Amino acid sequence: MINRTKWLSVPGLVWLGIFFFIPLLLVTVLSFMERGTYGQVVYSFTLQNYVRFFDPLYVSILFDTLVVSVLTTLLSLMIGYPLAYYIARMDKKWQHTWLLAVMIPFWINFLVRSYAWVVILRTQGVVNTFLQSLGLITEPLPLLYNFGAVMLGMVYTLLPFMVLPIYVSLEQMDRRKLEAAYDLGATPLKAFWHVTLPLTRPGIVTGSILVFVSSIGMFVVPDVMGGAKSALIGNVIQNQFLSARDWPFGSALSIILMLLCIVLIFLYYRVIRVQEREGGVE
Amino acid sequence: MKKIKALLAGMLVFTLALGAAGCSSSEEEKVLNIYSWADNFNPDVIKDFEQKYQVKVNYDVFSSNEEMLAKLQAGASAYDLIQPSDYMVSTMIQLGLLEELDKGKIPNLGNMVSTFKAPAFDPENKYSIIYTWGVTGIAYNKKYVKDEIDSWSDLWNPAYKDRVIMLNDPREVLGMSLIKNGYSNSTKDKAELEKAFNDLKTVVPGVIAFDTDNIKQKMIAEEAWIGTVWSGDAAFINEQNPDVEYVVPKEGATIWADTLAIPKGAKHKAIAEEFINYLMDPEVSVKNYEWVGYSNPNEKAYPLHSEEYRANKMIFLDQKDLERTEWLMDVGEVLPEYDRYWTELKSGR
Repeated sequence: MINRTKWLSVPGLVWLGIFFFIPLLLVTVLSFMERGTYGQVVYSFTLQNYVRFFDPLYVSILFDTLVVSVLTTLLSLMIGYPLAYYIARMDKKWQHTWLLAVMIPFWINFLVRSYAWVVILRTQGVVNTFLQSLGLITEPLPLLYNFGAVMLGMVYTLLPFMVLPIYVSLEQMDRRKLEAAYDLGATPLKAFWHVTLPLTRPGIVTGSILVFVSSIGMFVVPDVMGGAKSALIGNVIQNQFLSARDWPFGSALSIILMLLCIVLIFLYYRVIRVQEREGGVE
Repeated sequence: MKKIKALLAGMLVFTLALGAAGCSSSEEEKVLNIYSWADNFNPDVIKDFEQKYQVKVNYDVFSSNEEMLAKLQAGASAYDLIQPSDYMVSTMIQLGLLEELDKGKIPNLGNMVSTFKAPAFDPENKYSIIYTWGVTGIAYNKKYVKDEIDSWSDLWNPAYKDRVIMLNDPREVLGMSLIKNGYSNSTKDKAELEKAFNDLKTVVPGVIAFDTDNIKQKMIAEEAWIGTVWSGDAAFINEQNPDVEYVVPKEGATIWADTLAIPKGAKHKAIAEEFINYLMDPEVSVKNYEWVGYSNPNEKAYPLHSEEYRANKMIFLDQKDLERTEWLMDVGEVLPEYDRYWTELKSGR
């Protein structure tokens, strides 16, 4: 049966080939080429683009980006887990409504949603006008174009990636194990810590990786909500393909970013596996 | 559970389903394929042309010169008429991506104001014709800015800290600082560039945002009080918020233009030239530019324009102001240097 339906995977494989492997190969090749005087790609081999990355400027920007991504992931987890937990314990009927509410923003273009935040938060925006009309503030608050606004935009955009996988693992969880813990006299906190949390770890891992990887390459949110004032690695890469017309350097930065993601995810999985093994010994 | 999985799968498809580029089909009838900025022509003018010359006009848009360049470099020869900006014209000439124009087919070229006939980016005027132009000057809101504004150094005034806005473009911003310090906006001298960069470093912490596409909204909504704004955008802002004024600073400023050009290998070159000539007909150009709202370089059309359009100093800049302006030129191998300074400015180090 499996063999006879193998052909069903062909469209997917072709898709991957055309839209993933070929572009990846092109980017890899480009990253070893030279930039011509007028921004064209000169086909002669060089390692210069990789050497250039080790300029302290670019390394520190990459570090800043990692900090922002880790922070986004942690915040999403702190907000997303309780939300997923709450949804998973509701009536089935309500669960679907709430899940829909988590997903509906996805149906609206992400750029449009970012601009909606601008309308809400700007000096003459909804929040400031409201607070001023209540007489709570006299001068509009600077709610936009700062680090806080960037974090808000990132967490807002990526939260569903955290909530959905965690919800799925909470939903799949065998409730009897929790009941067993209670029967053996565990407090709710202890039961959560020793039963629920370990059992939902796959959801946490998936959600964290989805959020982390998406935030590391993000450049629209810092541009729209951060006023394009901060340089994250995504912005630097974008500039190489547009204003600087330096495709080889942009490609090299992309490759470095991708390798870094792979290494970090690998390390993350190892830590999780070690923890699981230790959990088993207990 | 299955439902949830289906939903998750659906979501993934949504995320992946990015817009696919449309393909233009060429039929047997006469066709003109334009590749340009959004809203750069009065749609009625295009309709009139289609009827008069029995041509079908297709209109694709790009949002940056670099996007257009990339598409043409990748070998898209489907276009007959493109609208690169000034510096991009010189780059495309260097890269051999433009066709020489057949001036004999464009007699209306004679209507062009003489100052724009041989711009620095195409000195022999062989490949491009200026379509519209403007100057990057200072726009400021009189409600908050009480001093007289006449210099780029006014952006450095601590009174406007956190209310300054700048274009999100390395060449525009570094070029502005270069001009402020008495240098060319397209210098290849690294010492001059460094000086302009160090000067900018002292103003950037007070910049509320870098923005090109939505700078108009930020000025209209009074999020920013003062900033570097294109003259055409300033005209638009002023229409929505009359408190916003515009000035070309005394140190000078960058002038820019969108042009009409024909890419190498265009299949309908003659029709493209016919269209260029049509656009430069005085009456057609009045209809076109009053809708577009940018400056018309057509001298013969000037008396036909409405009083309102002619009186607008943000559309028709003073000759004295124009004498202080300078084109951005391609800086070639120094461009990555500009980009590095730009990145450093934004990294806040």
